[in-house]
Amino acid sequence: MPSISLNRIKSKKPLDLAFDLAVILICVIMFFVVAYPIYFIIIASISDPTFVSTGKVLFTPKGFSLFGYEQIFADSRVWIGYRNTLFYSFFGTFINLLLTLPAAYVLSRTEFRARRFLMFFFIFTMFFNGGLIPTYMLMRDLSLLDTPWVFIFNPLTVNVFNLIITRTFFENNIPHEMYEAAVMDGCSHFKFFSTIVLPLSKAVTAVIGLYYLVWHWNDFFTGLIYIRNYDLQPLQIVLRDILLSNQVFSEGAGSGGTGGGYAQRYADQVKYGVIIVSSLPVLILYPFIQKYFEKGVLIGSVKG
Amino acid sequence: MATVQDTKVKVEPKVKKQTVFNTLARDYQLWIMILPAIICVIIFNYVPMYGIQLAFREYDFTAGLTGGDFVGLKYFEQFMNSHLFWDLIRNTLLISITTIVVGFPAPIALALLVNQIKWKRGKRILQTTVYLPHFISIVVLVGLLNVMLSPNTGILGLLLAKLGVEGNLLASVNAFVPIYVLSDVWQHVGWNSIIYLAALAAVDPQLYDAAKIDGANKWQIIRNVEIPAIIPTIIILLILNMGSIISTGFEKIFLMQNSLNLPISEVIETYVYKTGIVSNQFSYAAAIGLFNTMINFTMLVIVNTIAKKVSRISLW
Amino acid sequence: MVKSIRFFIVSCFFLILVACSNDNEASNEPTETEDGRVVLTGLITKHPLTKELENMEWLAEVEEKAGVQIKWEEVSADWDQKKGAMLASGEIPDIIIGPNAITDADFAQFPGLFENLQPLIEEHGPNIQAMFDEQPITKDLSTQTNGEIYGLSKYQQFWPETATMQFINKQWLDNLGLDVPKNWDELFDVLMAFKEEDANGNGDPNDEIPMDFAPIGEGGFGYFHPTVLLGSTGMTITGGGGQGYILEDGQVKNFFVDERYKEFVSFLHKLYANGLINEEAFTQDYSQYQALARGEGDTAKIGFTFGWESTDRFGLNVSDQYVTFDPMKVSADSDSDVSWSYDYNELNYGVNFIQMSSQTGNKEAAMKFINELYDPEVSLQILFGSIGPNIEKTGDQSYKILPPQDEEMDPGTWKWTSTWADNGPMFISDELEVELPVDMQAVDEQQEPFNKAFENLDRENDVFPGMLLKYSQEDHNAMTLVNTDFMNIAISKFGEWITTGGIEEQWEGYKQQVEQMGLQSNIDIIQKYYDEYKGQ
Repeated sequence: MPSISLNRIKSKKPLDLAFDLAVILICVIMFFVVAYPIYFIIIASISDPTFVSTGKVLFTPKGFSLFGYEQIFADSRVWIGYRNTLFYSFFGTFINLLLTLPAAYVLSRTEFRARRFLMFFFIFTMFFNGGLIPTYMLMRDLSLLDTPWVFIFNPLTVNVFNLIITRTFFENNIPHEMYEAAVMDGCSHFKFFSTIVLPLSKAVTAVIGLYYLVWHWNDFFTGLIYIRNYDLQPLQIVLRDILLSNQVFSEGAGSGGTGGGYAQRYADQVKYGVIIVSSLPVLILYPFIQKYFEKGVLIGSVKG
Repeated sequence: MATVQDTKVKVEPKVKKQTVFNTLARDYQLWIMILPAIICVIIFNYVPMYGIQLAFREYDFTAGLTGGDFVGLKYFEQFMNSHLFWDLIRNTLLISITTIVVGFPAPIALALLVNQIKWKRGKRILQTTVYLPHFISIVVLVGLLNVMLSPNTGILGLLLAKLGVEGNLLASVNAFVPIYVLSDVWQHVGWNSIIYLAALAAVDPQLYDAAKIDGANKWQIIRNVEIPAIIPTIIILLILNMGSIISTGFEKIFLMQNSLNLPISEVIETYVYKTGIVSNQFSYAAAIGLFNTMINFTMLVIVNTIAKKVSRISLW
Repeated sequence: MVKSIRFFIVSCFFLILVACSNDNEASNEPTETEDGRVVLTGLITKHPLTKELENMEWLAEVEEKAGVQIKWEEVSADWDQKKGAMLASGEIPDIIIGPNAITDADFAQFPGLFENLQPLIEEHGPNIQAMFDEQPITKDLSTQTNGEIYGLSKYQQFWPETATMQFINKQWLDNLGLDVPKNWDELFDVLMAFKEEDANGNGDPNDEIPMDFAPIGEGGFGYFHPTVLLGSTGMTITGGGGQGYILEDGQVKNFFVDERYKEFVSFLHKLYANGLINEEAFTQDYSQYQALARGEGDTAKIGFTFGWESTDRFGLNVSDQYVTFDPMKVSADSDSDVSWSYDYNELNYGVNFIQMSSQTGNKEAAMKFINELYDPEVSLQILFGSIGPNIEKTGDQSYKILPPQDEEMDPGTWKWTSTWADNGPMFISDELEVELPVDMQAVDEQQEPFNKAFENLDRENDVFPGMLLKYSQEDHNAMTLVNTDFMNIAISKFGEWITTGGIEEQWEGYKQQVEQMGLQSNIDIIQKYYDEYKGQ
């Protein structure tokens, strides 16, 4: 590899070389700008919060302690929360894609007469909604309250934003000739969609799959409003409770005049620790999805 | 809305005879594929919409959600007569427009940049790094801003002081919007660039080869091959962004508010929270919500119409 | 592949059907346990530290004694967001517990949702009746304007008269040969000395921060804010200031448009302009505020500040350097009485701690349970934890609060972990003799300077009776709207005037602007309710 890239550099036009240098420079600067705060969160999660708050922690951890993580993992609810969130995220995303991908395909077909009306029909819901109370009453009438289903079937099951993104992708990246050719071969929409469109659309599937998955992963509102049984609560609710139990006194003396900051000491450590505990699994996932964004990988795979 | 319909009719008069009904037999497969999504949206999005009328009624618990007295535009007037109304509109627009102006192009630039990197390992590391901040919760982000921008101890505060920016930025009315917007860009630029990366990944490699044979330099390749490939995505996202012209991130602004930046940081959503939600004034909250929706939706329709005329790309 | 698509679509419909028909599971619950106890549902807005209710020994005993078994839903966060939808849907648990978890405004907005407890108390509530008799104010706090009782108040006897105490670093004063300041002018000189000299003696004259206060919210003032200094001008604020409403000689006023407030803000500006107030006081968060006061090792960083109790505020390393001191006068020759923030009512009473749904199947049983909670001995356990691990019974009516089992834990955290603590309904009768934990004893000792300031206080006519006033829904909504606009101006001007000055030039215009927003109509409304209350 190194020798090849050396050859490449030699054979370059001077303008391109300058261009490459600029790219590298910007990337390096950007890397540090983005990476430093992340690094800071990591060292803050294992440092004494008093040092963090007073600006003594800059590049290395100070007053090392794992108290924050101990607090988080000592709580048995965390594991139940993880299990629930995993289920809601993967099953929920599966249902989301199941509904979104075919619908987006249909909306991308220019010969489909109802397409413009249906686009409007979907987009309208992005803006107009009945508000929380009617939705809550609907969930109650459907007996979805306090069940895992409410995480999967809710007003965002078909996320119109994702639907539009997918439709746009289908419109612009599935050549029209392909369908005509397929029809010649007696291919139905079902078959064309599943054998041609989906394999060609791994990138967008990966993207909206990721969007849906991360949405489910971070969703605490559903649990907050619709769930009363703690055994069904997702990880985010559990972590929020842990976070709060260490931060509670921040509003002053609290109700009834408790002491100000008794539990405050390790609040920040827990705060930073929670970020790491809650997002690590989604972060690990990203590199697997990343491969679908490699240049030309998709077209190549179909043609090859 | 009328304009959209009109143009449609004018542009495609010939195909008028094809109606939804006489194409039903032909398109039944398509209908089957989209029906689950339609049903889902009807149940979960359209059914609760009767709640919108709450904006025009008194909330009356005993009479049911829609049984209260009809009061017309009372709550809209109440909002518009509020002493803070124009401040709220100004602050909200200032924040959201700045966010769009700065935050919208950033992920596009990032995607094009990342796409230039040939060292695969480095590319992946950079991509993953810029994607990380998206997962930081807002509470932590605001805490991070507080610690880092502290004029005496924070790394950014100290750095800025060296560059001649004196004083406590968190206390400054002028610095609020830049801090809000830049931290927003920092947090979401990587995440938002994913969609463009996916679009770039779909570019036919033959196009690159062809451009190289033509002797195009890198800048020309970006302009003539890559940007055209992501233009549809850009336009669609821009339209959608304009449809949130009067929306701001409630939680972040709420947490960033302090007594010194309040003249600039009070926006519609924080106001709704303070008046409507905390004290259960459902009708008032619903009216302000609907006011926002109307502005956003109008904006979307306008921009969509323009986009359609200019680029022939549109949402519907 | 076609098959699999069809399968997907069919399975999708199936899932929707399953989801929709997944009913009747929740509602078919038994109304009695096998041993004949009535099954009720309950919700509590507890403190996030508080352990699960099923592990509280005292609660199990109370439930058994009352012949009920309660299925608890424990809420420790975001109750405001949860509440609206829950109340509007009309499906609420039989019993809801929490400090003002359901407000007077909720009772007005959701008529018929909550049970009028008045008749039930007469029949099944002797303990509650006893509280009303011993502490008549608790009856006022519980009763709506129409005479009905939806939410019950509480009484706990131990809490001090103010939550906010002022602390000064005595060691610094001694190092510099200074006395504790007795008025604002002396305070200015002391703070100047803290700033100019190396008060903490670590060799660096620039690391001392003369004065600091807690971050100020946009909704008004609260505990640990500098507004307590308004007491120097003779006015008595409550709860640290809130939205500025005060009572003087039976007249409702608002200090945000008072000349004395102007004087106070001008003084703070003088301090700020001289670099005597922490530059970050307005922008720091609470954890930064707390961390800063803990100093570095044995070196303190803060000269003059506010807090609940010294070890809580300053940590164990430097807390013994600080003392509380008498509220100051404005100047050596001012002759007005000096006051302070009077928080006794807020700290010892409270409104709407427990309420019952009107849908409750067995109201008698629910009332018996509520009544048990107001038994003084049970109440003490609600506040401090179960007899045994948390409390020792030393005599018929005397008790000793035990130190935390975990030695590293402080008494406050121990209390909040073990039980409902201050979030619970309770009646701790004055007849109980209780030996308090060390932190409360320390509070009592440090309170002394402030108790002196309250000796001459006319609690009838000079203390704003905040929670005693029960507004109609209409008035409440009107006041909320005005207060939101008003606070937006008042709090931001407060910050602006202190940091950049300008109060002299802007004062008249500001007063006019606030008047336009309807401040006077709010004052009139409150005055009306206050007069009605006093007339009773």
